[in-house]
Amino acid sequence: MNRPPTLAAKIVMYAVLVGMTLFALYPIWFAILASGRAGDRLYTFNLAGMFVPTEWTFENYRTLLFETPFLTWIKNSLFVASLTSIASVSLGTSGGFAFSRFRFRGREAGLILFLAIQAFPGILALVPIAQILSAFGLYRNHWGLIMAYMSGQLVFATWMLKGYFDTIPIDLEEAGMIDGAGPIQSFVYIALPLARPMLATTALFGFMAGWGEFFLANILIPAPDAKKTVMVGMFQIANEVNIPWGQFAAGAVLVIIPILLVFLFLQRYLEAGLTMGGVKG
Amino acid sequence: MVGWSGRRKTLTILLFVAPTLIGLIIFSVFPLVLNIFISVTNRGKFHPNPDCTQTIWKIVEPTCWLGKPPKGLAEPFGFQNPVYNNYVDLLGGLFGRSGLLALLRIVIALLPLLVAWYLNRRFDRQLTRPVSSWIVWLGGLVGAFLVGWLVSVPGAYNTLLESGNFIMVNVRTILYVLVCMPLFFTLGLIMALILNNHHVRGLTFFRVILIVPWAASTVAIMMSLVWQFFFREQGTINQLLEILDVKGPAYLNNNLWAFVIVVLVNLWYTYPFFMVSLLGGLQAIPQELYEAAEVDGASWWKQLTNITLPLLRPVALPIIVLSSLTTYKVDAVVWSLTRGGPIAGADKPGGTEFVMVHAYKQIFQTQAFGRMGAFAVILFVMLFAATLYSLRITRITKGAYE
Repeated sequence: MNRPPTLAAKIVMYAVLVGMTLFALYPIWFAILASGRAGDRLYTFNLAGMFVPTEWTFENYRTLLFETPFLTWIKNSLFVASLTSIASVSLGTSGGFAFSRFRFRGREAGLILFLAIQAFPGILALVPIAQILSAFGLYRNHWGLIMAYMSGQLVFATWMLKGYFDTIPIDLEEAGMIDGAGPIQSFVYIALPLARPMLATTALFGFMAGWGEFFLANILIPAPDAKKTVMVGMFQIANEVNIPWGQFAAGAVLVIIPILLVFLFLQRYLEAGLTMGGVKG
Repeated sequence: MVGWSGRRKTLTILLFVAPTLIGLIIFSVFPLVLNIFISVTNRGKFHPNPDCTQTIWKIVEPTCWLGKPPKGLAEPFGFQNPVYNNYVDLLGGLFGRSGLLALLRIVIALLPLLVAWYLNRRFDRQLTRPVSSWIVWLGGLVGAFLVGWLVSVPGAYNTLLESGNFIMVNVRTILYVLVCMPLFFTLGLIMALILNNHHVRGLTFFRVILIVPWAASTVAIMMSLVWQFFFREQGTINQLLEILDVKGPAYLNNNLWAFVIVVLVNLWYTYPFFMVSLLGGLQAIPQELYEAAEVDGASWWKQLTNITLPLLRPVALPIIVLSSLTTYKVDAVVWSLTRGGPIAGADKPGGTEFVMVHAYKQIFQTQAFGRMGAFAVILFVMLFAATLYSLRITRITKGAYE
């Protein structure tokens, strides 16, 4: 496939590329266009308006930000997602290190246990989790939601970090050991700094998982409005009787664009995360 | 690690593993165990509370722990009689005579494909293939259709659908995965092939742009709502059609259309994953092979089928298996687009109500927690087996078991 393509092949390839670019971007472009349109409708009878901005107003953004609980939802989501990610990474790191470096009885069993938990999707654990949370008064509470997210994220973080520690050569730590460092020192002073990029990536994956999650949040924090996360809140906006589509589109843009930027920025880490991501489901 | 052993070693390891392990036990293992207990009871809307005077519930049921058992007028839940009754409820239809017969018919219809696969394996070992592989596969496919027609697979499929909601959603979900995978793979492969061609300009630009849907998949629930708008009765597509004086249908109220749309939108989210992974695989193929093929005068198609595809196998197989698992567990996309609809009637799963959506709806609506517990346990066993299998393929744990 080294040979320069013929003209016809080239035309076909560019046509496919351009077509796929439109396919990939149009829904997001559509949301951006709709967010700048006055009125409560997502569509326009103006054909050109479906493809280029023929009118533009920040009215929807203003209403969304100042007349709905949108900012509170964002704040809730930020809180839940960051704490999930911080908690899962801090609980998972030492375990990941141990599973990568030490050989002990029960290690294989532990790894299998991880997988078994991975295989169990969060939605199916809803009933027992809701029981536990309501027993401790954590139902309708952000801390409860964070605990529910932990069940998936902790395994994911441990597994990711174990995989990364596996790729760090052990030589440095052995050199440290010769200089008298115990396993704890070699973990804190040698392995942890080396694993920094992966810690950040894992934390980010955890954050994005918490940011985009809907089902658990919808059941575990059904009310009041001020406690909802942004996904639940926006879903609710989109299912009202008179849907304020413009506001919805504005919200979608505000929620999706930052994630897009982060994601594109971290593209090179994707490859590493994707095999794990598959297990994560 | 050198030079340390005995009790100190055990203590150190415990220290390292403890935070993770305790977290896991609280957040993951305990819910799983509790779920197994729930799955053998008749817990639900009418029997929501445990009987905290019984020793077993005193131990496993968290609402009993604090000494303030939940009060309600309803009778507390108890064990099913027989205890596995929930499982019989869910799976019973499959193990009846008609269910097994229907399964058998479907298996028989798949036999020609198996034969094709076997023949291909045999031909591969010969120096020159008597028949090229795609002819064999085509033969297998035609054979499958013929046999399928003879044993009337559609009839068997309908029998299966009627033998219980659990089986119905499972069969539909598996069908959905089977439809999705070839599409995901083909589109991903086409894009990867183009992006791997150095004679195309602006590769980096396209590579970044084409990944956007993957990024959007982390907020799938919202992005799918935007997609849903395209297909509403008063949505974008129908508006465009109106300009041409065509009246479009309400796509999401039609079983077939709803299915197609769910496939299409999921294709949008998933092709970048296939594209990126297959591109990685393509770049790992040594160029000399193509140069040698070029010298031999092999056409583009020959190079694709004889070099690229076989060498992509180690990359393609794991991602197909992994993606099948995630597609099986599809939830947000479907929930936003159709909510599992079109509605099929009371107590019947809707047209696109796949496994996870069904589970969610059941927890929400019928609140038959005991039966949902059994549902979860069965799915857990299936998914765990599938995950183990996928790991055998990806060999992620290769280092773990040495």
